[in-house]
Amino acid sequence: MSLLEGTNLRKTYRMSRRTSVEALRGVDVSIAAGEMVAIMGPSGSGKSTLMHLLGLLHAPDRNDGPAPGLRFDGVDVTTLSDRERTRIRARSMGFVFQSFNLVPTLTAEENVALAAAYAGTSGSLARKAAREALDSVGLAERAGHRPMELSGGEQQRVAIARALVNDPTIVLGDEPTGNLDSARAGEVLGLLRKFNRERGQTVLLVTHDAEVGDTCDRIIRMRDGMIVGDERVAQAAETVGAAAPRRIAVPSAAAIPVAAI
Amino acid sequence: MRLLRELSRRKLRTTLTIVGITIGIWALVVFSSMANQINGLVSMGTEFYADKITVTDGVAFGTSPMRLTDADAIALVDGVAAADPRVELLWETDLAVSFSVPDIILGSIPGADAGHDSFEMELATGRMLTAEDAGNVVVLGSSLAQKHGAVSGGSIEIRGETFEVVGTLQPTLTAPDTTAYIPLASAQPIYLADLPPLVAESLVANELINQVVAYPEAGADIETVAAAIEATVENSATMTGAEFEETVGATTMIFNAIIIGVAAISLIVGGLSVINTMAMSVAERTREIGIKRAIGGSRGRIIRELVAEAGVIGLIGGLFGLGLGTIVVVLANEAGRAGGTVLFDLTPLTAAFAVGFSTILGMLAGIIPAWSAARLDPVSALRYE
Repeated sequence: MSLLEGTNLRKTYRMSRRTSVEALRGVDVSIAAGEMVAIMGPSGSGKSTLMHLLGLLHAPDRNDGPAPGLRFDGVDVTTLSDRERTRIRARSMGFVFQSFNLVPTLTAEENVALAAAYAGTSGSLARKAAREALDSVGLAERAGHRPMELSGGEQQRVAIARALVNDPTIVLGDEPTGNLDSARAGEVLGLLRKFNRERGQTVLLVTHDAEVGDTCDRIIRMRDGMIVGDERVAQAAETVGAAAPRRIAVPSAAAIPVAAI
Repeated sequence: MRLLRELSRRKLRTTLTIVGITIGIWALVVFSSMANQINGLVSMGTEFYADKITVTDGVAFGTSPMRLTDADAIALVDGVAAADPRVELLWETDLAVSFSVPDIILGSIPGADAGHDSFEMELATGRMLTAEDAGNVVVLGSSLAQKHGAVSGGSIEIRGETFEVVGTLQPTLTAPDTTAYIPLASAQPIYLADLPPLVAESLVANELINQVVAYPEAGADIETVAAAIEATVENSATMTGAEFEETVGATTMIFNAIIIGVAAISLIVGGLSVINTMAMSVAERTREIGIKRAIGGSRGRIIRELVAEAGVIGLIGGLFGLGLGTIVVVLANEAGRAGGTVLFDLTPLTAAFAVGFSTILGMLAGIIPAWSAARLDPVSALRYE
């Protein structure tokens, strides 16, 4: 079953009065529930724009050509108001960004609890959910620390905890490993892979890192605002922590020694 | 708590903004307290002068002598129910220039108003004067009693003569507080001695008064009666409650205008300063706002967060302003009390208004930057460096 179904997605950004950039030139895309998908392509290929549309952060253009279509979980989201789209993002989606994506004045636990609060969970329940989410990424002991006091890898795991705290249908990541060294990147990817397998969460990652792509089930390749390739990746095994597929070792979260993080 | 943490992130800027609001609210508290006091005096005065006509000599603003027979003539005027002859004198003959209400010696015949005076005075200690009282007895207003440390049963020196204190009054916040009430017969010789020798030569103390308070009959038109009195008694001038209000009301207006002015200035300065602080804060937090919007923070929530933050700035400034204002008011009143000058009256309503005003001011000023923050596109905000 298709979780996200986009047809004829177009997006043009007006940079100034005379220049505009056609970031998406009519893309059809379908993401199945439970898939872990990488969107890859060079800079300016439109991969981030596609993620912003699929993540309901931007709406597709409606002018010229056939009308765009975008359904999330069977619901037509093209006509929703900002408030309704915000509500879907809060309750059914989790976001992980490249860097500096935590609120600096809040502790790790408060950052995670914030997402729970946005989804409608109240005070003490939100904090409890936040502690559980932090525990699931191996950061229970760092719950009271501010982002400044955490390493880059730890910050990104807090962000993953925040993305997962509401048990969303889909997790969207925009270069989630972009600012991390390969060991930390492996940990972050391992966590996403683990939740994808254990909880059946759909994961959609934008990346230009081939190793990230190889961790996923499917790679959508983009160039100049069009999809130019869509391939399945043969994963060696469905078991967590098993031998790596072709290029990257994917450690399971449980196997990550806390001291190393 | 989280709000305070946000605010403490930009200590200097937030502090400066709070200082600005503090000064504005401080001024508002002090001026409002002064206005309360003055409005209180005026309304008590209006009450004091209401439904009576004060008749004085028309030539020299009531300082020239009248005769006891004038009171009899006034009592016979159509519409006058009772006429109360008085001698009103300054306690100190050589009055230094002062902003405070001068101390007054008032000689009158108790009961001459025949129960028409509606201004109620209450005793703190002792008793009121009666028609039977003669000689040097006095009932002191509250300020005078406090100033001279006098109590009932004690004695006090007035113009070189010893008076027995038979009663002291509760504070009224107006003229009676600084008035010493003595029998008319005791006041007349003092008045005679005050007059220039050439004038005094032809006068007899027990015929002498300088003021008559006339009480109109129920239903009589006060202004008509006042006109009739002026027509009957040669060279007389009358003052009614309405005239008092007219004269003093102008002063009150000026003070109220000053308060509105101070409030307006603190509104503009404080408001702009809050807008500036919050706008800077929004600019600095563009990324953060982008993240919050992306992960599902609604526009309303972003606005609420920022408006609450601005409101807290206003609240803190308001509380500090109120605190400073209270200190000034209390110290000034403490210092002034010795000289009988109480300038400020800080009421709970004024205090609540000042703090509420600055909180709402902060929130209103916060709306503009909060609104622009909520309108940010989450994607561009996330890319913002």
